Amino acid sequence: MSTLTARLLARAPAPADGLPKMPPDSAYRWVEPHLVLGHEATIALLIERLRRAGKRIRYPERCFFAADHFTPPATAERAGILKKYLEFVEDEGVPQRHLFQGISHQLMVEDARCLPGAVIVGADSHTTMAGALGAFAAGFGSTDILAVLATGAVAIRVPEAIRVRWTGALHRACSGKDLALDLMRRFGEGGAAYRALEFVDSTDSRICMADRLTVCNLAVDAGAKNGVVIPDEVTLDWLRARDGHAPALDGLGPGDDADYADTLDLDVTSLEPLVARPGSPADVIPAREASQEKLHQVFIGSCAGGRFEDLRDAAEVLRGHRVRPTLRLVVTPASQAVYRRAVREGVVEVLIEAGAMVTASACGACGGIDKGLLADGEVCISTSNRNFRGRMGSTEARIYLASARTAAASALAGRVVDPREFTP
Amino acid sequence: MISGPALVLGDDVNTDELHPSRFYSLDDATVRAGFLGAVGPEKRGIRTPSLASPRGSAAEEVPVGPVVVAGANFGVGSSRETGARVFLLAGVRAIVARSFARIFFRNASNLGIPVFVCPELVAPAPGDVVLVDLERGEVRCGGRTFPIAPPDAYWAAVCAAGGLARYLGLEPVAAGDRAAS
Repeated sequence: MSTLTARLLARAPAPADGLPKMPPDSAYRWVEPHLVLGHEATIALLIERLRRAGKRIRYPERCFFAADHFTPPATAERAGILKKYLEFVEDEGVPQRHLFQGISHQLMVEDARCLPGAVIVGADSHTTMAGALGAFAAGFGSTDILAVLATGAVAIRVPEAIRVRWTGALHRACSGKDLALDLMRRFGEGGAAYRALEFVDSTDSRICMADRLTVCNLAVDAGAKNGVVIPDEVTLDWLRARDGHAPALDGLGPGDDADYADTLDLDVTSLEPLVARPGSPADVIPAREASQEKLHQVFIGSCAGGRFEDLRDAAEVLRGHRVRPTLRLVVTPASQAVYRRAVREGVVEVLIEAGAMVTASACGACGGIDKGLLADGEVCISTSNRNFRGRMGSTEARIYLASARTAAASALAGRVVDPREFTP
Repeated sequence: MISGPALVLGDDVNTDELHPSRFYSLDDATVRAGFLGAVGPEKRGIRTPSLASPRGSAAEEVPVGPVVVAGANFGVGSSRETGARVFLLAGVRAIVARSFARIFFRNASNLGIPVFVCPELVAPAPGDVVLVDLERGEVRCGGRTFPIAPPDAYWAAVCAAGGLARYLGLEPVAAGDRAAS
């Protein structure tokens, strides 16, 4: 069908030997990914199983293993899980340079191997984020990843694809999070289920890579198998800044005959700052229509909303102001590289002046793991990707999702506000 | 034929509701204690009184050997496989849903949990007997019959083997032991 996703999957290395022959009438085929993303929370579930099978990791050099969930560990049990994982990484000869460097998905896109044309599978649902660079990137559970580690391959079906084409110009107060929430609103939590989302940026303002990353991050929350941005000049400029050079994009777009299951043309000009209401990332309304309830915590972090651009946007709003003393403003840079740059460029200073607590680069509050959980009756606005019941602690807490700019303005207001309308 | 009392859940029931992350563990008892730990009142139609208490564990109230009957997009969210594995630990015999979220479907199938897509499914009363007739490819519950969407041949093979690790020969096939850890 020569969608970009079909073409990307066709580029994956030839399947390994030692696999069962795929049933002839199956739509699936064995695919060998170039890179396998993992972290302690999902890899720990398969270590004993791989050992008991008498297997070792077939291609350790393809493993892209981070330590981001229980890092640094908040309980003795989680320290034990992390320890087991680190010993596994050492024993298997897996590259160690990503450990403790931040959230796996952010580290992936900071790495020179994450390129247009790459086929990436990950033991985490938000693996989809790397699609922003023109890669095929999809999340899997631990047993699928066990299979990849043991055999080198995983069964994948070429998904139907939905083409999303953005036109117009994005308002300065909006960012990738607003684009993502706009898609969530249109698709619902399962509207893109089993499908690829292929994004074409035909805007006049051009959508920056940070925004594309956030959109592809949340592709999975609309049910998509993968989200991919058709690589273009924005991609190449970003790669040149990252790597000093950029690859050729030959064949890294959809064919003229690409057969899309659906096409969505979105003029982003009229887009305004959005929030997802507590309970579902797809329950989206304009920020200006949100309820007046009092906020107890503002979380700026996660693979969806903890990039340098997010911290910078927040600092722009917060500069020279201070949140009320009883509000927790928790900032978690998505990676050590993001953290370093934010320190270097004075962003961290502004955030601390505004009352922020800056935590170590890890998943932290987003996954309800540590450093920013919520009590019964507390209300939080978060730049992360999920606001499910109980996601960040108590099942009786309420979580709004929004961009960093909206979250920062809301931090100063003490309630959810539209950053365009709020002046401290 | 698989049968059991219906444990009825709604649409878009996500993994954080099915198994809150604080129950993530390598210890089975801890994982088991988180079963349905944050499924809110709007998404449950099950006779599990303890769920009325938001933080209560639903574990004791789940009927023995249930068949989960759910709406659309079941298991949306995280890839954490503990969220699927807990269904094994809770003794769930099968999951029948109008549709599944992609990763949850893979996780459950890979762990050897029988999952069936039944697009026209209408939930029976909680506790009513659900029959999954594999030969006829249909689900019977609440006095009605619903066709099962035929799985892809790959998933049929994985299911027949009792999960992916067994299909690939990474784990031994042991009768009566579907609880691959």
